[in-house]
Amino acid sequence: MSPAPAGRIRVAVTGLGIVSSLGADRERTWSAMLAGRDGLGPLSGLELPLEAAQIAGEVPLAAGRHQTRCEAMAVQALAEALDGLVPSGDPRRIGVFQGAGTSGLPAAEAYLAARLAGRPHPATEAAFQNPCTVTDALARRLGARGPRATVMNACSSSLLALGQAWERIAAGELDLAVAGGAETLCITTYAGFSSLKAVDAARCRPFSRDRAGLNLGEGAVQILLEPLDRARDRGAVILAEVMGYGASMDAHHPTAPHPEGEGAARAMALALRVAGLEPAEVDLVSAHGTATPANDGAECKAIRRALGSAADRVSVTSSKSQFGHTLGAAGAFGAATAILGLRDQVVSPTLRLEEPDPECDLDCTPLTARVRMIRAALVNAFAFGGNNVSLALRRWEGR
Amino acid sequence: MSGDLVLTGLGLVLPCGDGIDAARASLRSGTPCFAELPESLGRGRGAACKDFNPAGIIPPMQLRRLDRCSRFAWGAAHQAFADAGLDPRPLGHRIAVAAGTLTGGSEATEGFLRPYLQRGPEGASPLLFPNSVANAASGHLAQAFGLKGPSATFLEWECATFAALEQAARWLRSGMAEAALVLGTDGLFPLLLEIARGARLLARHGDPVAGSGCGFLPGEGAQAFLLETRDHAEARGARIRATLASVAGIPALANDPLERALALAEAVDRVLPDLPPDRWIGGSCGSSRIDPSEASLGRAHSGWPAPLQPKLLWGEFAGAGGPLLAAALLEPATRVLVTAPASFGPQYAARFEGVRL
Repeated sequence: MSPAPAGRIRVAVTGLGIVSSLGADRERTWSAMLAGRDGLGPLSGLELPLEAAQIAGEVPLAAGRHQTRCEAMAVQALAEALDGLVPSGDPRRIGVFQGAGTSGLPAAEAYLAARLAGRPHPATEAAFQNPCTVTDALARRLGARGPRATVMNACSSSLLALGQAWERIAAGELDLAVAGGAETLCITTYAGFSSLKAVDAARCRPFSRDRAGLNLGEGAVQILLEPLDRARDRGAVILAEVMGYGASMDAHHPTAPHPEGEGAARAMALALRVAGLEPAEVDLVSAHGTATPANDGAECKAIRRALGSAADRVSVTSSKSQFGHTLGAAGAFGAATAILGLRDQVVSPTLRLEEPDPECDLDCTPLTARVRMIRAALVNAFAFGGNNVSLALRRWEGR
Repeated sequence: MSGDLVLTGLGLVLPCGDGIDAARASLRSGTPCFAELPESLGRGRGAACKDFNPAGIIPPMQLRRLDRCSRFAWGAAHQAFADAGLDPRPLGHRIAVAAGTLTGGSEATEGFLRPYLQRGPEGASPLLFPNSVANAASGHLAQAFGLKGPSATFLEWECATFAALEQAARWLRSGMAEAALVLGTDGLFPLLLEIARGARLLARHGDPVAGSGCGFLPGEGAQAFLLETRDHAEARGARIRATLASVAGIPALANDPLERALALAEAVDRVLPDLPPDRWIGGSCGSSRIDPSEASLGRAHSGWPAPLQPKLLWGEFAGAGGPLLAAALLEPATRVLVTAPASFGPQYAARFEGVRL
């Protein structure tokens, strides 16, 4: 591996909090993933009686007082990521970077539904609940007065937010950053993906020959990043090292990926270049892997384009087979999958991958977890608007 | 963030009309653009881009698939590339898009959701749903102009376009892009008006007045800025409109007026460390959550010129801070300060130098 450019500060992952349909915390979620448990089930939290598809990855967490469910999940994941750490030092050097897709939408949905039914409904919540509300709430919890960003790049939002946090720490601007995403199921996204015929009525099957679409999910992932030296000085447990990110646009179609994965491959190649990693060092790709017919084939082609012959020995996995597609939070879920894989040297499985699609001709880790050496990982998140982000992570080996 | 980045292209779709000349004339005249809105945009007064004409710019097949935000953004981007004398396609891989919005995606969300709630799945239009994401506009522009570099869309209350400008500057400095299209875009739609009115945010009697606390009126539009490193601009012989000297956002930690005022003052200190501005563009809009921060800044700097207040002419939203950045580039000046107080979160300031027409 070539060294990081002179002047760039190395960035450590020192905390990770997860709230998912598989568990209320990181280790319960991770053990369930490795055991091949399924976080998808019959949809119960939303009433959509006329929709054909009724499967989702739901989190049994209620909203707190003066708090949306989205904020409640984000705050719970933050508390776990901090693991008792009380941030000290200059609050202007603590940043919060969040990716969002729909947070705030349930308030607008409730308002509109009430008005259409002729019921009065206060407008205040709909006016003041938007994705920034979650970012602001996390910043208040942290006492952060540093940079704050709410990225709305649809399904690549939270991975780009992680990239931004890395960028700021690597440039020496921050001592601590929290990055991630939180998302709740809502009517608009469920009905919207259904209208596009992108939702599978059964449990989704990424990379399978008979894949028929995605399932939606919800949850939150928050990741704590800090300068590596600072993390070592305070004796923090280092879960992985963030090496860099790449981003690109397809300029091809509003919703469909480039069929040859051209833009996605450029994002991955850029992430590798920024990270100073060679394709042969990448052992894991935590894929976007939505299980839509268009995505998975294009993504596998993109991995081949970016990694070349090294693609033949890389392990690919899709956590969406376990949580569903958590939209704005999906990139952070993918990153969590890679971080824990790097920590434990194990690849979580892609569930229900009984018969791989010949178009997806990579090792997509079917059915069961696999112990293997993982030196570096790429995390992919792609989105409407032809938006591609790839994040490079490396195993922390103590030096 | 500070350093030598330059603006070489500007494109404007505003309630006062399209283009730089219309915006300059509007600022000089000081005449507000508010009027009763057509029913299709909502009930009440606001500043709509009623003269926006996409004919000859957006192909008809595409036009019908675009929401208002994306149409305005397309028009503004078209102007900005022309103004910069840059054909974006050959350089597409190296052009980033950073966008700011407050309402992006929401018009399509309402358009999709209303019939769904009334009629169930049969009422749901698959044509509308893809525009329900905030980054729909940047995706459409990528396709229209062949832009393939990195892209980010930000939501940051009333200041999102400042956050976009900051990110674009970062990409240029890190070498991830050679040019960046920075966009602010917002469109009016009925639910927005209804919610803002229901939450008692809107001015109810007449046009908004800075410092009155009587509320704002909404506006719409898009602003596109082509940002480049000076080296890149000079190498291609581009005319430089201004240097982006600095942009900074300081979050207000607590939700109270004093915190917001302190944060805005700190942002101004960051971007304007020594000499006073010879022009000041402000973000006051009539809102009791926003205006006091700027008033307090004015009291602390009595020697500064009085701020010009574009939101009192073109409305709130209207590009989530983009109109303020645009107003800074419409008259020659040595040093222009732009302040963007927000109702929550980061309070932004930016400084441009050497503004030329």
